[in-house]
Amino acid sequence: MTGREIALKAVRNEETPRPAWVPYVGVHGASLIGRKAGEFLKSSDLIVAGMKKAKELYRPDGLPVVFDLQLEAEVLGCQLHWAEDGPPAVVTHPLEGKSDWNANDLPEFDLTKGRIPLVMEAVRKAKAEIGDEVALYGLLCGPFTLALHMLGNDIFLEMFDEEEKVEQLALKCAEVGKAMAAAYMENGCDVIAVVDPMVSQISPEHFAQFVTPAMNEIYDFIQEKGGLSCCFVCGDVTRNLEVMSQTRCDNISVDEQIDMAKFRAIAQAHGKSCGGNLALTVVLLMGTEADAKLNAIRCLDACGGKGFILSPGCDLPYATPPANIAAAGLMALDEYQLDVARKTCQASQADSFDDIVLPDYANESAVILDVITLDSETCAPCQYMKGAADNAAKACGAEVVVREHKITKREGVGHMVKLGVANLPTICIDGEPKFNSIIPDLPTLVKAIEAKAADKAAMARR
Amino acid sequence: MELLNNLTEAVKKGKRKDAEALVKQAVEQKLEAGTILDSLIAAMDDIGRRFKANEIFVPEVLIAARAMKTAMEILEPVLVDAGIKPEYKVVIGTVRGDLHDIGKNLVAMMLKGANFEVIDLGTDVTPEKFVEAARDNGANIICMSALLTTTMPAMKETVDCVKSSGLKTLTMIGGAPVTQEYADEIGASGYGADAATAVEVARSLVSA
Repeated sequence: MTGREIALKAVRNEETPRPAWVPYVGVHGASLIGRKAGEFLKSSDLIVAGMKKAKELYRPDGLPVVFDLQLEAEVLGCQLHWAEDGPPAVVTHPLEGKSDWNANDLPEFDLTKGRIPLVMEAVRKAKAEIGDEVALYGLLCGPFTLALHMLGNDIFLEMFDEEEKVEQLALKCAEVGKAMAAAYMENGCDVIAVVDPMVSQISPEHFAQFVTPAMNEIYDFIQEKGGLSCCFVCGDVTRNLEVMSQTRCDNISVDEQIDMAKFRAIAQAHGKSCGGNLALTVVLLMGTEADAKLNAIRCLDACGGKGFILSPGCDLPYATPPANIAAAGLMALDEYQLDVARKTCQASQADSFDDIVLPDYANESAVILDVITLDSETCAPCQYMKGAADNAAKACGAEVVVREHKITKREGVGHMVKLGVANLPTICIDGEPKFNSIIPDLPTLVKAIEAKAADKAAMARR
Repeated sequence: MELLNNLTEAVKKGKRKDAEALVKQAVEQKLEAGTILDSLIAAMDDIGRRFKANEIFVPEVLIAARAMKTAMEILEPVLVDAGIKPEYKVVIGTVRGDLHDIGKNLVAMMLKGANFEVIDLGTDVTPEKFVEAARDNGANIICMSALLTTTMPAMKETVDCVKSSGLKTLTMIGGAPVTQEYADEIGASGYGADAATAVEVARSLVSA
């Protein structure tokens, strides 16, 4: 089964052989190819280059083509402020400050204007290049957030003063959403995500009044066209989970503030699949690979199973370290690595391993090979890695000591943590992780050991 | 007193016309200006408490703040005559590079509702501009907001700029990606997880 098929089955709330993995690579794609966000979001070639790089690094089951909630607003007359390392921001609102505003005053939404043609071109190119393996997500600006782009902060007061006009505006924005959904699907997108972060700021009653009818217009349209839909809200939407689950979307995806176990119970009660909710800033942007793995394990334990898509809570920040994203994704992609991370990362959180003391490698006469394994008696790759170390020790002329550390035991976890080993199995030579997961051939390993032995001999002579 | 209780309720429900009429009555009845003000502050404190508890949301806060503002426009001249003025001043803005001001506006409104004098510098405010405004106005606190992870470093620059300026002005930060840990890391005086908490933190900072 391809990753694309896994992602689509998960969105449909069907059983999958493993959790689906959809990293929301938006402007982060620009950083992956060494470009600035502004030029990236104005070039279909760069967008696709970023997606291909993300595919190579993260092995995703699905990817958004662009994550830019300002596309529609730009066409409707909002001015944008561009940033080098983030998506643009809307700075003017066409209906703001007008006491006699009307939704019909907005210009006709035209798919040939703004950056929409280049985005659709990017969809077609991505479909041709990676679309067989990766589900393509078309992200559109949700009706409430688009209405806020039109009215500015006035919308919050107009929800009390001009209820019917705001309802009409939301429905007008839904028409824009339907046009975008149609274009995305015609050009090759598999899943249409209606991204509506501003609904995190309103009550369930207001959601039901202003958002539900507009969102359902879009979801029904997508369903009629044979597509799949996702209701995606960045921000703390705890109070609106129930009312979101009552809309007619296929999937709901949420941000890091949400309690995933409670979210899953609500969504599944309404037959919806779930997505989320890796922590963007503290974990993916500022944390370590171990933090990212632990955060992914938290998501999977609370929400994993049928119809679950592991994904970040929102658009990945531009400069997120790729290793952290890959580490999080690995927890969905590789059950073995998930088991290893459970044993090591979780243990290292709870234990400082002060009593595990590493040798003074430089002053030991022998070259020491620390082989970190799950258990070479039960795990085939570990068996071969340990065997490679034993064979190299016999084959080379230097004095060599081989020590296996099994992470099924506390001593093994302690060594893995103290040696800074991230993956299993790994061979460390005199305390440095050298061969990670891929088993070296005999000449390569012997050469590496003999080079270390020569260094030590040279140091001893000084 | 029933009139003031009704005024508090009118602000809490965002009924600005009722709030306007009631505050006019209170002034005409020569009720003490400070007592009228207290009834308005009580309304916004209740709004803040319920916002923090997720019982109400941004629109409900804004509609109450508008009613409060309407009432204050009538009450302010009376307060001036009585020699009552806000005890503490706050300079507020979004940090350099950040144009997202909904959160900042909410905090500004809640601080005004808590009787702070608020100097709102708007969006995309440089560290130097924060410091200059704090110095010119004798502000007790500089409040900074950021929605984007990419603009968070400008908070540290501003905190550093305040420290190197020699001002004793306190610093507070807030915004979606901001955490207490980040506030500690950059040496900010306080962190507000939401608009209501920001008021609590500001009150505790100035009274410490």
